[in-house]
Amino acid sequence: MDCLPGFFIRKSRACKKERVKLVENNDNKIANTMSSIEVENQNRKKERLRLTVLSISGMMIFLALWQISVGFGWIPKKFLAPPTEVLKSFAIKFYDTRPDGSTLLVHFISSFYIALVGFTSAVVIGTPLGLLMGYYKVFDKLVKPVFELIRPIPPIAWIPLSVLWLGIGTTAKSYIIFLAAFVPCVINSYTGVRLTNPVLINVAKTCGASKWKIFIRVCVPSALPLVFTGIRIALGNAWSTLVAAELLASTAGLGYMIQQGRSLVRPDIIIVGMLTIGLTGALMAFAVGSLENKVVPWRVRK
Amino acid sequence: MIEKKTAKDIIFSILPVVSIAFLFALWVYVSGKNPDFFPTPAMTIERLNDLIKFPVSRISVFGHIWASLQRVLIAFGIAIITGISLGLAMGWNKYVHAFLGPIFEILRPIPPIAWIPLVILWFGVGEFPKILLVFIGSFIPIVLNTFTGVKMVEPIYLNVGKVMKASTLLKLMHIVLPASVPAIFAGLKAALSSGWMVVVAAEMIASRSGVGFLITRGSESYDIALILCGMIIIGIVGAVLSVILTYVERWLCPWRAEQK
Repeated sequence: MDCLPGFFIRKSRACKKERVKLVENNDNKIANTMSSIEVENQNRKKERLRLTVLSISGMMIFLALWQISVGFGWIPKKFLAPPTEVLKSFAIKFYDTRPDGSTLLVHFISSFYIALVGFTSAVVIGTPLGLLMGYYKVFDKLVKPVFELIRPIPPIAWIPLSVLWLGIGTTAKSYIIFLAAFVPCVINSYTGVRLTNPVLINVAKTCGASKWKIFIRVCVPSALPLVFTGIRIALGNAWSTLVAAELLASTAGLGYMIQQGRSLVRPDIIIVGMLTIGLTGALMAFAVGSLENKVVPWRVRK
Repeated sequence: MIEKKTAKDIIFSILPVVSIAFLFALWVYVSGKNPDFFPTPAMTIERLNDLIKFPVSRISVFGHIWASLQRVLIAFGIAIITGISLGLAMGWNKYVHAFLGPIFEILRPIPPIAWIPLVILWFGVGEFPKILLVFIGSFIPIVLNTFTGVKMVEPIYLNVGKVMKASTLLKLMHIVLPASVPAIFAGLKAALSSGWMVVVAAEMIASRSGVGFLITRGSESYDIALILCGMIIIGIVGAVLSVILTYVERWLCPWRAEQK
């Protein structure tokens, strides 16, 4: 009995010593980790630099290969214009109407206007329709069969018919773009409403919300991220369909410009047109993306 | 209560029929006013019948369908192999991604249809340019989706592989690839529908065969019934292709179908 407290005391002393040791060790460790974090940071910086250099060199090699292959005549000039010449044509195209009748800006505005008309009307009509179809069974049953009939036909296949019916003006092209943008708007809004968490709907029901209120306050906000996915897909579709429509039947626009570039064997004009089309598409996608971040801030984007 | 429910069910089962009937009636009504401009359903069916019996520009309608399908399938096959490998490489190795990423990002937003004039300028109007165009159209979504799929593989799976000392090849084949199959299939679906669209566009612009040619032929000879037939055929073939792909997906990754 006597030795027990003593034993305890000894042990607690030993513990204290050990603890002190541990603390010292820990301090050492912290010091070590601090330096290791720094090392890590340095490594990361080096890594980032390496990746950037690699990206730039990849781009450079691509451009250099392109330039050299045309410059040395491996690829004939009538097939491919070197990057320098593309840049030059791009600058010239801002004020020169040759060889296709309008400046780049005129072509661009003509395309952009048609795309905007078709795309906007598709979003304005398609999104509410999809939302309603997702929530109200009557709409679903009424519209879906017709929708499913029209959906598998690519909008491009509509071009000859709409040109015959509506001519080659703005109306026909806006109609085709409307078709191209309409389908993804409807499908994604529909799916968005359908994927609403039933718990949320049940909570609203328990609180005595009317059906319309549940739709507006619960289903629509929860569908918004998918609605935006649909709008982004619609934008891509609209833009690429517009190019097809302009290739086939048009007297202006970027698609017309590259088509003329082909028939006049001017690869520089074709490539300027392609890059403008690509750049505009990317910018529009970016604009929709930033709008999405404003409207749906709760969405975690990749 | 039960009776009321069945009454509602009956209404809901009738509604689709009503809407289809309405569409059909609209077609009959509009086309009846000016059948030259918009053929009636009867004329369209008759034309479809003729189309099956008599060849268009010495190729039967099935020949045209096969011509388009062949182009899509060859290009799609090549795009699957190259696209998945490139997507895997870019997702797995950040150096590959850093090297090829910027070039890819510049080419990506250019719609495949915008390549048509350049590709025709380079290779003319034969088979190869069309296959190349379909390849461009389906390659990009496959690479993008494979890349995203690889990036989203659960790190814990990879750590298990590391603990088991799996080689890189083993990790790629047994962990990364199976885990990203759903994402890859999403890409394949987008690629197939984009490929089908591109082949129609390419055939409409420059071709002597294929379903896109049927439509152009119809509009050149003012045979609007033929245009409608072409559109119907394109729609059916496109729908069948996507259904087949859905079944392949269900067969390849059954765990995903169960979730739905």
